[in-house]
Amino acid sequence: MTVYDVLVIGGGPGGLAAAIAAKKEGARVLLIEREARLGGVLKQCIHDGFGLLKFGERLSGPEYAERYEEEFHELSIEYKLQTFVTSVRKTEDIFHVYAVNDKGIREYQTKTMILATGCRERTAKQVFIHGTRPAGVFTAGTAQYFVNIMGQMPARRCVILGSGDIGLIMARRLTLEGAKVLGVYEAKPAPSGLARNLVQCLEDYDIPLYLSHTVTRVFGAGRLTGVEIAGVEGNMKPVPGTERQVECDTLILSVGLIPENEMAESLGVPLDPATKGPFCDNQFMTEAEGVFSCGNSVHVHDLADYVSESGETAGKAAASYKKKKRNRIPIQTDASLQYLVPQRLDADSDLSSVILYFRSREILEEGILTVTVDGRTVFAKKYRNLKPPEMKRLKIDFERAGLTGESRIRVCIAKGGDTR
Amino acid sequence: MTRKRLEGRLRKKLNRRFGEAVNVTVEGKIVRVSGTLSCWDDIIEACSMCVTRIPGVHVVNDIILEGADIPRMRIPGFTDHALEGRTPDVLIIGGGISGSSIARELGRWKVDVLLAEKEADLALQASGRNDGEVHPGVDLGRGTLKQRYVVRGNRMFDKVCKELDVPFRRCGQYVGFTGKAALPVVRLYVWHRKYICGIKDTRIISGRELKKREPKLNPRFQFAMYNPSAGCVCPYGLTIAYAENAAENGAQISLNTAVLDMELQNGRIKAVKTNRGTVYPKLVINAAGVFAEDVAAMAQDRFYSIHPRRGTNSILDKKAGSLVKSISSIKTLAKNTSHTKGGGILHTVHHNLLVGPDAVETYEKENFATNQSSVDAVFKKQKQTAEELSEKDIITYFTGVRAATFEEDFIIGRGRRTRNLIHCAGIQSPGLTTAPAVAEDVAKLAVHMLGGEGKIERNTEFSPVRKGIPRVRELPLKERDRLIRENPDYGIIVCRCEEISKGEIIDALKSPIPVPTVDGIKKRVRPGMGRCQGGFCMPLVTQIISEYTGKAIEDVKKSGEDGVISFGRTKEVQP
Amino acid sequence: MKEMTCIVCPNGCVLKAEEKEGEIRVAGNGCRRGIDFAVSELRCPMRTVCSTVRTVFPEMPVVPVRVSCEIPKDRIFDVMKEIDRVVLKNRAGRGDVLLRNVLGLGADVIVTSSMLKNAV
Repeated sequence: MTVYDVLVIGGGPGGLAAAIAAKKEGARVLLIEREARLGGVLKQCIHDGFGLLKFGERLSGPEYAERYEEEFHELSIEYKLQTFVTSVRKTEDIFHVYAVNDKGIREYQTKTMILATGCRERTAKQVFIHGTRPAGVFTAGTAQYFVNIMGQMPARRCVILGSGDIGLIMARRLTLEGAKVLGVYEAKPAPSGLARNLVQCLEDYDIPLYLSHTVTRVFGAGRLTGVEIAGVEGNMKPVPGTERQVECDTLILSVGLIPENEMAESLGVPLDPATKGPFCDNQFMTEAEGVFSCGNSVHVHDLADYVSESGETAGKAAASYKKKKRNRIPIQTDASLQYLVPQRLDADSDLSSVILYFRSREILEEGILTVTVDGRTVFAKKYRNLKPPEMKRLKIDFERAGLTGESRIRVCIAKGGDTR
Repeated sequence: MTRKRLEGRLRKKLNRRFGEAVNVTVEGKIVRVSGTLSCWDDIIEACSMCVTRIPGVHVVNDIILEGADIPRMRIPGFTDHALEGRTPDVLIIGGGISGSSIARELGRWKVDVLLAEKEADLALQASGRNDGEVHPGVDLGRGTLKQRYVVRGNRMFDKVCKELDVPFRRCGQYVGFTGKAALPVVRLYVWHRKYICGIKDTRIISGRELKKREPKLNPRFQFAMYNPSAGCVCPYGLTIAYAENAAENGAQISLNTAVLDMELQNGRIKAVKTNRGTVYPKLVINAAGVFAEDVAAMAQDRFYSIHPRRGTNSILDKKAGSLVKSISSIKTLAKNTSHTKGGGILHTVHHNLLVGPDAVETYEKENFATNQSSVDAVFKKQKQTAEELSEKDIITYFTGVRAATFEEDFIIGRGRRTRNLIHCAGIQSPGLTTAPAVAEDVAKLAVHMLGGEGKIERNTEFSPVRKGIPRVRELPLKERDRLIRENPDYGIIVCRCEEISKGEIIDALKSPIPVPTVDGIKKRVRPGMGRCQGGFCMPLVTQIISEYTGKAIEDVKKSGEDGVISFGRTKEVQP
Repeated sequence: MKEMTCIVCPNGCVLKAEEKEGEIRVAGNGCRRGIDFAVSELRCPMRTVCSTVRTVFPEMPVVPVRVSCEIPKDRIFDVMKEIDRVVLKNRAGRGDVLLRNVLGLGADVIVTSSMLKNAV
């Protein structure tokens, strides 16, 4: 049986970039995708704004994905479509991947795996919406599939809960298709989506945004007939007495994305509670030997361009993977960061251009991010307008930081414009 | 006690509590409570005060709830003549676990069975909205019908579930106690249950033994009452399986069929009016759940009342499944208040955890809306059973409404005034457990009432075996591979959370009682039951239903006729 | 003075633009593109439109499209009306023009995926 060097699970932007990068390094690569077409969620993201960083162009999701797909095919990378991995087992240094498709069940063997499994949407019940169970309650991604892939209208008069980017994009999309979007309600006191989406998806179409408000109940027997809206206080709990009803036929939820890591968990990969993705090093290898992860299964990105970037890093590293004793230095953060990826540095790898991705926990008009090694500041950067919804990326040369296996690396953000 | 004395005693009791607002009369075996009250809980209290222990005597609630608009029964939005003029031997009203299992047992005889279910699918009310526990019966007192049937019903589950190809697991039940002080009392209780009530598997195990078996339960549990015979089953899965087997043996299962009225002649039901035509049955079986009292009234045989009681359960992600492998709960000595009554943590046949239910009295028989207070109350209590239990693992929650009588017991038997009627009413917990046994007895009674074995022939072609849809994900690799080679659709995974293939979905569409809606498919083969709750697969299931049935996408519904998913093609629908 | 959020890139800079004697002064921009955006936003706000067009192919009932360059913001719904009228009968691919110079606005409506083309 063929033993692949790299087996990529997931054919979205992360998986495609990973497979391409691994192949370019000369690895024997197989990519497994559970849907009938490559491209992942980008197939339904028909809005533009993709590729600004990668290609310097404003592409739609399908255009962005197809550029990668073309390169993928040019490199003649092996792949399986509509193939679903049911289980993975590891013996010695080989992963045995069992996958099912319309031909039957097959085992594939590989030296490394890259999990590019993306993320899923939080559901109505996960944000404790109560009431009846009518039709007409959709997550934003499901509604997007209906409109953009199936060409079906799931909404006429709709309320959107959550100001995540997909929710904002669907507000505009449904409006363009003739639906009335009554408003976007956000439980937090600040929006969750990118500022540009607030402008071009809501303001441009006069769709109101209600902060510190949430949907608490749905009504209707067959189809949704209305929702109950309530004000929200600091503790994120609805305020009794502020409830009011809004008549609508559709509730669309954009209340967060969760990295899909069920397969990672089955392989014993520890997850970071802050990202809900695996703890990774700067090569995107998880805590499990030979298991890499990239894209939205590591942490939820705002931009596909960065998903591809992490895929490239993971693909390249997996292609040159050698089993060895790891010398990993954890990167510690404090409460000023929501999270930081990677959570570890591989001390034996090339550390001259380590890319860090992070989100600030609070909204800061001005903030300074500092990286210290054993108490010495090795890097500092001033930021304007740090917001939790906007992921930041920075490149740091750790080669000059004089790291040893025992080094303590800390990253934190200080409020204001002064370095201390 | 004479009728007059009983009446006087009850009236006195009621007057002390409610003054002149309520009155009570005893008419034969009916204790009729009447008057007007403004609070439903008071009505429950008044009627409960009038419960006697006299066998066969039932409380009928005629108290008017002031200022309340009691909702009418939901009925299908259409009429047709599909059943017009049908003359079945037996008309079963209600496609819950009772009606479906009776229909199946009647299949053993050459009788023409018509089952009318008003909803768009089977088990849409109490039978589909409970925790699926197969009870050991340890909590039931002697002398009740519930107790009589629970032991027999429980024993039948292995055979019935095997015949009907329904997953069933005897997972055992633990009731944990935190205080050693209770041990002597519990010992006595266990002895009584074991030797007097016949719940022979009841025993006490030590805290240490419990920890070995269920390491994540409350470490303060000193000992536990244990019943290995307790089990779990998918309650709607079993109901559907029963109905399918009934259909395979000749019963007609008519969904979207509501009984609206009856015509009686000489103490017999002559005609039954439904939204799909009038039928003329020889015998009617009332298995109408929360509406059994309404059906009894139509049949001029109302001698009991149903007071609906809501219960909410939460379903947890499979990831939390390892927390409890059995059915576990804590016994608190504090007096049960409505919200904290009963409930436990149950590891389902699908390896989720189910937490609940609570119990809240309501006059709304079909209000299945959930409330956060129910979820909160249940979790607060059950965190004492297993402290790692977390609301974060909840993937969904649902409410069911129990069909309780004031005597809190089943009513199984012939009509009192109406001669061609059987009541199978007041069926609440452990109604799922008792169903196989009750169905046998009701079927026998029905045959007897139709003229007995002399007149009714046995159905020699009856097959008790139903072949379910293959649970492809559970098959050994080789078997699964073979199946896919026969039918490639079994290899196309549609629901990623539950690993359900297109082949299974198409099987459900081809099943004996197909319900080509998203919820109908979900109930039968589980796409959308997992952690993403159908976010990924719901559009795909809609497409498969559309392709298979030839209906346009916008004509595929979530559940009943009004459950519109899509309004039509983009560019073509006007808002 | 007008305050606005720049939508050119994901940074979302908050711009302050002021017009004095025919000259527009912009502050708060992180790069040159912010100035262009602010000027255009004051003079004639421009946007893109992305949508789908119907096809005659049941396996792919719609195909994604967008305008090839920005159009005036107040013409978005006019362009949508044109897009809604299209029913694609050939298996067009990415970059194929469906509506040339739509409504004389200087932008073409182009297909943004080759899914349909590659499906054969």
